[in-house]
Amino acid sequence: MVSFNVHAEAGEARCGTLQINDRSLETPHLFPVVNFYAGGNEGSLFGGGIHRTIKEFMVNHPPVVGEQNYSDLFPGVMTSISSLADYGISEEKLEWYLHNKIREWESFSDYNGVIFADSGGYKILTQGGIQGRDFEKDIDQDKALDIQLALGPDIFVNLDHPIHPDDEFEDRIEKMKQTAVNARLFAERRDEIDGACYLTVHGYYEAMLERSFDLIEEELAEPIPKVFDGVALGSLVPRKDNVEVLVEAVSDCKREMQQRGYEDLPLHVLGISGNAMPLLVALGADSFDSASYLHQAINGKYYVNLFESVPVDEADFDACQCRICNDDFHRARMRDRMEDLYQKDILGSVAAHNLAVQQRELRKFRQLIVDGNEQAVATYLEESVKDQKGFRKFVYKLINERMNPYFEETDTTYA
Amino acid sequence: MHKTPQVNEVNEFIEIASDFEDPLEVIREALSNSYDANATRVDIEITQDDEGRNTLTIDDDGDGMCERDLSSFFDLGNSRKHDAIGYKGHGTKIYYKSDEIRVEAVKDGTRIESLMERPWETLNDRELPMYSVEKTETDESSGTRIEVHGFRAGRGFDPQKLTYNKIEHYIKWKTIGGSTAWYFDDDFHEMEITIELSDTIDDTRPPIKTTNRLKFGPENRDPEGEFVAERMCKCYPPRELSVTLDDGQEALIEVVGMVGGKEARNELPTYGKHSAQFGVWLAKDHIKVERYNDAIGADNEFFHFFFVANCQDIELSANREKIRNKSGNVYQAITDELDRFFTKVCQDPWYQDYIERRKLENKMQSVQSQASSLDDRRERAEEQGGLSPSNSAEVVAMLERYSANGAPESFKIADFQLNDEVNTILETENGFDNASIEVKLSDFFKDEPPLTHIDRFVCWKLGDIDALSQLERTPYMDETIRFDFSDNEIKYGEDDPRTIPILELSSKISP
Repeated sequence: MVSFNVHAEAGEARCGTLQINDRSLETPHLFPVVNFYAGGNEGSLFGGGIHRTIKEFMVNHPPVVGEQNYSDLFPGVMTSISSLADYGISEEKLEWYLHNKIREWESFSDYNGVIFADSGGYKILTQGGIQGRDFEKDIDQDKALDIQLALGPDIFVNLDHPIHPDDEFEDRIEKMKQTAVNARLFAERRDEIDGACYLTVHGYYEAMLERSFDLIEEELAEPIPKVFDGVALGSLVPRKDNVEVLVEAVSDCKREMQQRGYEDLPLHVLGISGNAMPLLVALGADSFDSASYLHQAINGKYYVNLFESVPVDEADFDACQCRICNDDFHRARMRDRMEDLYQKDILGSVAAHNLAVQQRELRKFRQLIVDGNEQAVATYLEESVKDQKGFRKFVYKLINERMNPYFEETDTTYA
Repeated sequence: MHKTPQVNEVNEFIEIASDFEDPLEVIREALSNSYDANATRVDIEITQDDEGRNTLTIDDDGDGMCERDLSSFFDLGNSRKHDAIGYKGHGTKIYYKSDEIRVEAVKDGTRIESLMERPWETLNDRELPMYSVEKTETDESSGTRIEVHGFRAGRGFDPQKLTYNKIEHYIKWKTIGGSTAWYFDDDFHEMEITIELSDTIDDTRPPIKTTNRLKFGPENRDPEGEFVAERMCKCYPPRELSVTLDDGQEALIEVVGMVGGKEARNELPTYGKHSAQFGVWLAKDHIKVERYNDAIGADNEFFHFFFVANCQDIELSANREKIRNKSGNVYQAITDELDRFFTKVCQDPWYQDYIERRKLENKMQSVQSQASSLDDRRERAEEQGGLSPSNSAEVVAMLERYSANGAPESFKIADFQLNDEVNTILETENGFDNASIEVKLSDFFKDEPPLTHIDRFVCWKLGDIDALSQLERTPYMDETIRFDFSDNEIKYGEDDPRTIPILELSSKISP
């Protein structure tokens, strides 16, 4: 059983609960990307250096995470079927790994968060399938779904063919058509799926998104909301640093959904997080996924806030309110002051802090939406971009146009 | 042993008086002093006699002066003001650049008269000038009259330099006469200002009568008509921006202004180029000092904006023309806040509409000029029978026409790169040729480019045959070159000469 109930709105921003069987997730939510298989066996939580540390945080593995339980940082995680081959897996090992669903492995049996299994369309499209150590598998919609089913996630998504800003028109249309066909094939197997089904759409502006929706609707035998429980907007990663594009894409996607009567479906923005997140929440996005918390940590970067990071050596832990930074165990780790520390342990704590910073901002935002005070939401947005010169114009534009205009018609005292 | 540093008083007077470069600054000083003396009226008269000597008279109904005030007027660095402009006691010293200063003031039933003779001459004789003080009882109402005779205004008060228009602009842009304090309920009182120039300076209009209120607008947010952007105008309401400084203190910035097209801006007392007058003005005591147009950002053109951002925490240079604490944190905090404020203005939907409207109208105008240019071209084409290529692309079209109309040899354009020297690959009956297609053959040779990879030339006409013949007289890339205009070919090289055919289209295509 899947449902999405919006229980608070402020402007276009909204708070909801995504209920999937007996699991629920509060939105807006950021799904941290977790690499469930990263080499190794179950004893090492299927390995992966810092990826392993993250999984240890996720399932609360005290030797690594200390005395406190940080699994609440992971109420919902994202994984991708294409990442299964990131660590040179053999065909035999892949078959062995897939014979159990993620939660059927004892290590993850207690994990009660929501697992979102992405189809990994971009990687599959560029590589032509999954390439392991001794095999290459062409992946089509059916095979992608087979692997997703084997992992046993809570959220499934069709295999997509992401577009690229430099695509020629004909290439883009071809990709959109293939995505639409995959959506149909995916929908035809809806009965096999015990979870939420998300539909991928692609486009950077309204005309493109309109085409993407049109092609899918033409392909499907039933209306989208009959088959799908959510919409996932993709292809934005190549433009992740162009806030203008992100704003237009999310905004136009929401408009398309409203015009087509899909406004009750949750909107997930694939591959985007970080500084654009509050802005996209204000536009009505419900969830995100990103590995940026991890990638920044791997590069030794410690988030000060959503916009700024510093080398972890220069981080002022006292200035951070997150639980990781207020835990002496992790402060010592991040300062490399414990014996026999692996890099994964040092940076794992940094990654957990980075994620905590992102989650904290979303939590604050959720509370403002719950309070229903659009002015407070605008103030929060304005404050968060106060010193971000290149970024704030987008927030100010949003506030000016859609929330509380700074220069109201009536707000004049001219003689 | 301890010594006390000495001050050369005469030099200081000369230095301070000379520091004021623009003679109009006397008006700024006069208006500020009258305003500070609570005047509700100030009349300023500037006259020039036949010998070019200026007399400046300032007459107000303010609080007048007592003897102590008179001392402050003449003394250096002895102002009775504290925070406001003038607290340094420098301003009135500009009057010292004159032949005579006469002051008459009434305060609290006492009339005081003072005269300083030859102040500038005396200072330049390395002496401090003296002033007389005479006091009498009176029942006149309070006020001050200052006459400065023989004021050394350079050529600043000459009829060629000084006009009512210039003064009016100066008053509104550079003095308390352009105050925005009234928008903010500050301690503001209205003052009527009259400025009169003698007819020898400007007799084109009656005296200026204004007040010390700077008014923006009038607003015209959505005018009707086809080309209206230049008339569009929006006034932005007064805003108080609060900034926390490093020491925890709060700085207040009072911002008010307008955005508008050229016609709307011309409603204000402008003078000269708008780019020198408009933008974001930083002000102290509501007197504009310097512009900070960076606040508007590189994406926007600053001259559409006219804003005044007043802050008492900026510090001014001695002549009040510049902000002196620009490298400090206070200035940084102020400008940071203004950056944020103007980002909001630039994201205001009205402003965005205004910019879009301007772009649209520019395009509409370019459509109009395009139409007239097309008419001209069409007319020319008709006159010339459609046969007058002016660029190599048009020659390509002619070549196609030539080939399509039963030419003895047929060419097809296989590839064309407009800016390359060898700009064309031609498909001929014998394969592919590298070719240079030119309007005039002589144009190709202007920079003497290499001929190594050229198999043939195609041109509309040969062009300057003398210039081509001249090339034969000196080596061309160390080789000989010969133009055969009867057979239309070029012979290039000596030991192993190459023949490069020339196809001159104008002689092959008849109108």
